[in-house]
Amino acid sequence: MAQKNENEKSERVNVGRRTFLKTAGVAPLAAGVIGGVAELEAQASRVVGPGEVPIQLIVNGKRLNLNVEPRVTLLNAIRNKADITGNKRGCDRGACGACTMIIDGRTAYACSTLAIEAQGKQIRTVDGLANGATLHPVQQAFCDRDALMCGFCTPGFVMATVALVEKYPNPTPAQVKRGLDGNICRCGTFTRIMEAATSVKGVARG
Amino acid sequence: MAKAQNPAPAPAAPGPTANAKKYAWPEKPVVISTRVKRLDGPDKVAGRAKYSFDISRPGMIFGKIVRSPHPHARIVNVDLSEAGRAPGVKAALVWKEAGAQVMYQGDPVAAVAADTEEQAIDAARLIKVTYDQMAHVATVEQAMAADAPKIFESLQGTVGNQRKGNVDESGDLDAGFKAAAHIVEQTYQTHVITHVCMESHGCVCEWDGDKLTAWVSTQGVHGTKDGFAQGLKIPSANVRVITQYMGGGFGSKFGPDAQGLICAKLAQEAKVAVKLFLDRKEEHLDTGNRPSAYAKIRAGVSADGKLTAFDAQSWGTGGAGAASGFPLPYIYQFPNRRRQHTDVYINAGQQRAMRAPGHPQGCFLTEILMDELADRVRMDPVQFRIMNLPTAAPSRAWGDYFQQGATAFGWAKRHATGDPTPGPIKNGFGVSAHQWGGGGRGGRAHCDITSDGSVVMKCGTQDLGTGTRTLVAVLTAETMGLPVSAVKPEIGDTMYPVCGASGGSTTAASISPAIRIAAGKALDQVFAKAAPQLGVGADDLVADGGRIHVKGNTSKGMAWKDACKLIGTEPISVDAEWEDGLSSTGTSGVQFTEVDVDIETGIVKVKRILTVQDCGLIVDRLTAESQIYGGIIGSLNFALFEDRILDRVTGQMVNPNMESYMLAGMSDIPKIDIMLVDTPVQRARGVIGIGEPPTVSTASSIANAVRNATGATLRSLPLMPHKVLAAIEEQKAGGTL
Repeated sequence: MAQKNENEKSERVNVGRRTFLKTAGVAPLAAGVIGGVAELEAQASRVVGPGEVPIQLIVNGKRLNLNVEPRVTLLNAIRNKADITGNKRGCDRGACGACTMIIDGRTAYACSTLAIEAQGKQIRTVDGLANGATLHPVQQAFCDRDALMCGFCTPGFVMATVALVEKYPNPTPAQVKRGLDGNICRCGTFTRIMEAATSVKGVARG
Repeated sequence: MAKAQNPAPAPAAPGPTANAKKYAWPEKPVVISTRVKRLDGPDKVAGRAKYSFDISRPGMIFGKIVRSPHPHARIVNVDLSEAGRAPGVKAALVWKEAGAQVMYQGDPVAAVAADTEEQAIDAARLIKVTYDQMAHVATVEQAMAADAPKIFESLQGTVGNQRKGNVDESGDLDAGFKAAAHIVEQTYQTHVITHVCMESHGCVCEWDGDKLTAWVSTQGVHGTKDGFAQGLKIPSANVRVITQYMGGGFGSKFGPDAQGLICAKLAQEAKVAVKLFLDRKEEHLDTGNRPSAYAKIRAGVSADGKLTAFDAQSWGTGGAGAASGFPLPYIYQFPNRRRQHTDVYINAGQQRAMRAPGHPQGCFLTEILMDELADRVRMDPVQFRIMNLPTAAPSRAWGDYFQQGATAFGWAKRHATGDPTPGPIKNGFGVSAHQWGGGGRGGRAHCDITSDGSVVMKCGTQDLGTGTRTLVAVLTAETMGLPVSAVKPEIGDTMYPVCGASGGSTTAASISPAIRIAAGKALDQVFAKAAPQLGVGADDLVADGGRIHVKGNTSKGMAWKDACKLIGTEPISVDAEWEDGLSSTGTSGVQFTEVDVDIETGIVKVKRILTVQDCGLIVDRLTAESQIYGGIIGSLNFALFEDRILDRVTGQMVNPNMESYMLAGMSDIPKIDIMLVDTPVQRARGVIGIGEPPTVSTASSIANAVRNATGATLRSLPLMPHKVLAAIEEQKAGGTL
């Protein structure tokens, strides 16, 4: 994987951004369109794929230049192409929340977001929360309250909680329920996640 | 492993060994039984913990399995040629040859590996499998029908898809029923659920010549290593299995499975590392499930509330050719009883152990019956249960727990039957009891202490999320008088001493004695080095507060680091294994539940659950409580939400995902109160294990609470709204009394 990354880091800054702007409207279609290229080009849209295309993602404040097929999800692009593996894949269809990232300030299921659609946006994953050895207050609260067991769903819960406390700095239990109902934990750590989420104080609004 | 092949006959009454006496658990522990934060918490919350699913190797490619879409078919042909030419493909193989049968939807047939996951999925679609479809049975009713196709008769002892077990009988059944003042005769049932581990089953396999390294999501690194060796016909010494972190197993991850062997073969052919993790649909179809359970029970109770007789025909399905056993009756003493169980086979994925295998089923079938019997004699369910318990013992302390729990829960406020208050929301209380063995033996550990004061405890066990890594450090730190942070626990690798798989709540009890003895013996060697310096005998020394000092004289001693400087260049290195006397087996617990039921919609809302639970010596109170929360929430899912639904015509799973295979979310979680029993009696029993017991009885106590709220009895799980409404209608129409 290290080798692959080297190849993909060739400088292509801004190409992705431009491509994104042009293709945003047809991105869901692009992967499936094989014929009809000329027609679409005539409409001043650029078709990308189905082969790999260069994209640029801004993940945890860093620009990543990757080559992915247009159908590749944000989660798979980041995990498989950039080896940023903090966020997990549980269901791969937007039901379990293990892949939850924060995109332009809002939580999103990265398994149900195309990587090419996420270009130009600020993408935050669980890997970027801690400041060196110093954990984010939400991460620290999860550790203090033992709000994790196997830990596979935890990155998604942590991200959903971060988004919650950035919106509501002292969330009520009702707000925590609403904010975290899109995430599932099979080990059954909900009780302690609730304790953790309601104990977090002093997180700045994002 | 040699021991496992040649088991020595167990002594009749094994007592504590000399080592177990010498290294007995401290009477006043400093770290043990306190709340120690999970050591790997920071790595897990920061996304730094590398699960097997996160492993990336140089040049690694991705595998994908092709599975049968049919519940039963004969394979006519498997054609890999087109897939082999697809972009990025590096390897392809046939897993089930032409002529073989597939026995359930999801049965693996072939596989492919390609540069990217997406290419592997594309190529898998290009593998052409021709099937000759055969008759199938999708439900136990279909399988048991007189005209059912005989699909499983090649299995030993099987007639018409059914394998009848022996009749288990004791006492005098006729006399028991004659002594009964009331008899209840009903059929009870529980459904099939799947494990739904958040990290799917799978691995990364990489070969170096004839040596295989596999990063597997497994509950047993050593067992999985042996599984690879047997499946691939290579020496066990050529296999290394690593599981640093794993995302849940619940009983479904004990070996390499088909996907592990397929991954290893693909990696061999492609000559690069292959990652093969199943998708969510494959998880539901082919990685195990909790078998269903049915029982037609006839039971008697005397006028004064004593159980007199129990006669049951039970059955259930563990899928295609797998058993479905469970304990019945559960816990309570029926002096005269008979039971015969029949395994029913259907064309569905095989069952695997699932968190307390058999117990949630046996508990539900018995506990609902118990409330029905208690009603017949107009007794309070708690008093009725206490009256019919087996003899008390440290592992059978339900009588005390029922009373303690009832007081704490406010059980006295329970109305006798059916919430009489007006309005659609009805409130009710329910109760149930459970037991589990736990225990376990045979774990090994290796302790190294080096001259810089470092302590490493190596143990070939694994942490499923239970807190095993933390437990290793807690016990070592306690023994050496060090802070937990001073110990480096090394687990999850077959390079470390052989330990059993983590199943049956046996991990803590099987490894803790080995860790205690290894740490104690290593410490003795530090004492031997320090004693001459202090001018005392090694036996006069103790370790606490990060110091080695003379007993009763803390000032006459030296810091741990200074003592370790005396070790020299050759580190202290000690092996130990499980010995009798530091661990035990057998746990008991009770649970109380309060629910609100909306009798207009049938929706059940669990408001609170209280449990009284023992587990011997509590190692880490924080993670022990987490296990209990988790077990209760798991059983709440079993009661209210999850259900593997097979289409009765096509035999295909209707909900192989996580949106229509439902699990509780944050809004569904009740208030949970834990009364963890920490008494001298329990402490003296040593370490036992707590993973399974709390998940046994929640579903039963919820169902009994629904019964108490509505006055209608639900004899089958899950407690879906339409079933709640149907039970209420049936009750209104005269009930089944």
